[in-house]
Amino acid sequence: MTSGNGPSEEARAEFSRLASGQQIRALANALERSGITVSVVDSGEEARRVVRSLLPVGAEVYNNTSRTLEVIGVAEDIERSGLYQPLRPRLYQMDREMQGREMRQLSAAPDWVVGSVHAVTERGSLLIASASGSQLGPIVSGAGHVILVIGGQKIVQDLNTGLRRIYEYCFPLEDLRARRACGRLAFMCSAWGRRG
Amino acid sequence: MSMIDYDARPVTPQIVLVGHRASAVGYSIRDFLSRNAVPYEWVDVDDTERVAGLLTVQEANPDQLPVCILPNGMRLAPATLEGVAAGLGMVSAPTLSEYDLTIVGAGPAGLAAAVYAASEGLRVVAIESVAPGGQAGTTSMIENYLGFPQGISGSELATRAAAQARRFGAEVLLARRLADITSEGPGYVACLSDGTTVRSRAMLLASGVEWRRLEVPGIDELLGSGVYYGAGPSEAVTCTGCRVAIVGGGNSAGQAVIRFSRYAAHVTLLVRGSSLEASMSQYLISQLRKLGNVEVRTNTEVVDVEADARLRALMVSSRGSVTRLLADALFVCIGGVPRTTGAAQVGLALDRAGYVRTGAAVSSSAGALDGWPLSRQPLPLETNLPGLFAAGDVRSGSIKRCAAAIGEGSMAVALVHQRLAEIGGE
Repeated sequence: MTSGNGPSEEARAEFSRLASGQQIRALANALERSGITVSVVDSGEEARRVVRSLLPVGAEVYNNTSRTLEVIGVAEDIERSGLYQPLRPRLYQMDREMQGREMRQLSAAPDWVVGSVHAVTERGSLLIASASGSQLGPIVSGAGHVILVIGGQKIVQDLNTGLRRIYEYCFPLEDLRARRACGRLAFMCSAWGRRG
Repeated sequence: MSMIDYDARPVTPQIVLVGHRASAVGYSIRDFLSRNAVPYEWVDVDDTERVAGLLTVQEANPDQLPVCILPNGMRLAPATLEGVAAGLGMVSAPTLSEYDLTIVGAGPAGLAAAVYAASEGLRVVAIESVAPGGQAGTTSMIENYLGFPQGISGSELATRAAAQARRFGAEVLLARRLADITSEGPGYVACLSDGTTVRSRAMLLASGVEWRRLEVPGIDELLGSGVYYGAGPSEAVTCTGCRVAIVGGGNSAGQAVIRFSRYAAHVTLLVRGSSLEASMSQYLISQLRKLGNVEVRTNTEVVDVEADARLRALMVSSRGSVTRLLADALFVCIGGVPRTTGAAQVGLALDRAGYVRTGAAVSSSAGALDGWPLSRQPLPLETNLPGLFAAGDVRSGSIKRCAAAIGEGSMAVALVHQRLAEIGGE
């Protein structure tokens, strides 16, 4: 169970530190070797431009919840520009009672997913945590195309450090945000507390 | 990245509407947004705590309601459907000075025609006053449409069809009604309610039908305040725990019952006829019979309403006796009246019920071909005006089924090609 106060000072210091240029280059090479196309950019603005250039006009796009995507304007581009078919607003206004099956199909296999990761190792292992698991399926296999926008602070040395980043930094931070947003995520808090 | 998907709600700011639940304008905006798949938050003006955080004292003035706060922060007070549509960037101008085909109405027939015409390279524009999908777009679940063994909701079918039409290059002009059609050379000019004009070499009227009005004293004053025409998808959640009455014996009424039974405490279906079998698909009848909170009353008509600021009860007549039926909301899904406003004055030949005559029905109608300028007879879906076609529910003799309308819309495109070849340039 988390304290509800967010990550500790130690975790904040360790896991919000930006990776070096050398680490970023090593990661880019590792990801390219795994068949993942990588663009290294210097700013959020540039990342936004790259995402725009990758998404075809009219594409069906699911944007995962991500502070990074919100802050740099990618979420705004997807949901409000009119250039794409954003799935998130469409799903939100669907009738859960009558359209549950259609909602499951739409969210499980979108043409494009734009999201992020919670950690990535220098050797290119991507670590993603999802409370319900709904974000995992499309990224791993359901989506036609996946774009991940990853900040330099998410690069970690190895898998164990990546898992620590999730349990000691991401989850307490998320827990804090969730309590502020809706205060109704006790099930998740207890589930993660037991695992952690 | 967040670990929590927050119920897939949008992450960017959404529209907020503040007003009285019993507001006809508020309902028209909710209906428009809901049918266009635009998420919004409705805040009832009686929710004083929430309203205080959203509106100034001046904005909360009854004269200023409903208030719409757009995602960019712009505030519309009082809000109108047209203002909201424009504020959201949903009102676009036609991009071309002339099209090959103008389609009036983006229901199943119009969307099918838009998809086929655009996919075959024609320059196409569709005009739609509310939302793609027409009446079928409000249907909760179409279970007998070919190719969808588990059924498909009307809104999903409409969303997919509109996306398909746009992908092929068709334009869809929303939130404006057809005001007038005039002929210009071999083509036509459509004048829209906002003054926009659209020129085209051929035209397809696929405007469908609107719900027949219930002739009951006092009912018009309650529109949007407990009385609704159609299945009212935007109202389903707000009927949670309520007593709902639905009038009608057709598939639309049956679909509405199934939708509202998921939310309402009790649903009463009022049917004028003696049974459902003559007017409703068997699969719907079977589903209705399994619903524990649904009552079907045949041989029953609404004769009066009881209301204060909103609907409270209905007086219903059955076999000579009148009883009181408590109802928080009444949804009227009876029959259809052909939607020819703005089109009929160009000189279309109509049948006695007001539906548009086409093909052989034109030729066999006395006087309908007076002034017909061509040596050939009208093509199968062509009206008494060359190059002006009709398809779907608005057409005289059409089968009132979604699949039939889609078939007619597709077929119309082949006939449009013939007409365009006739006048040259194709």
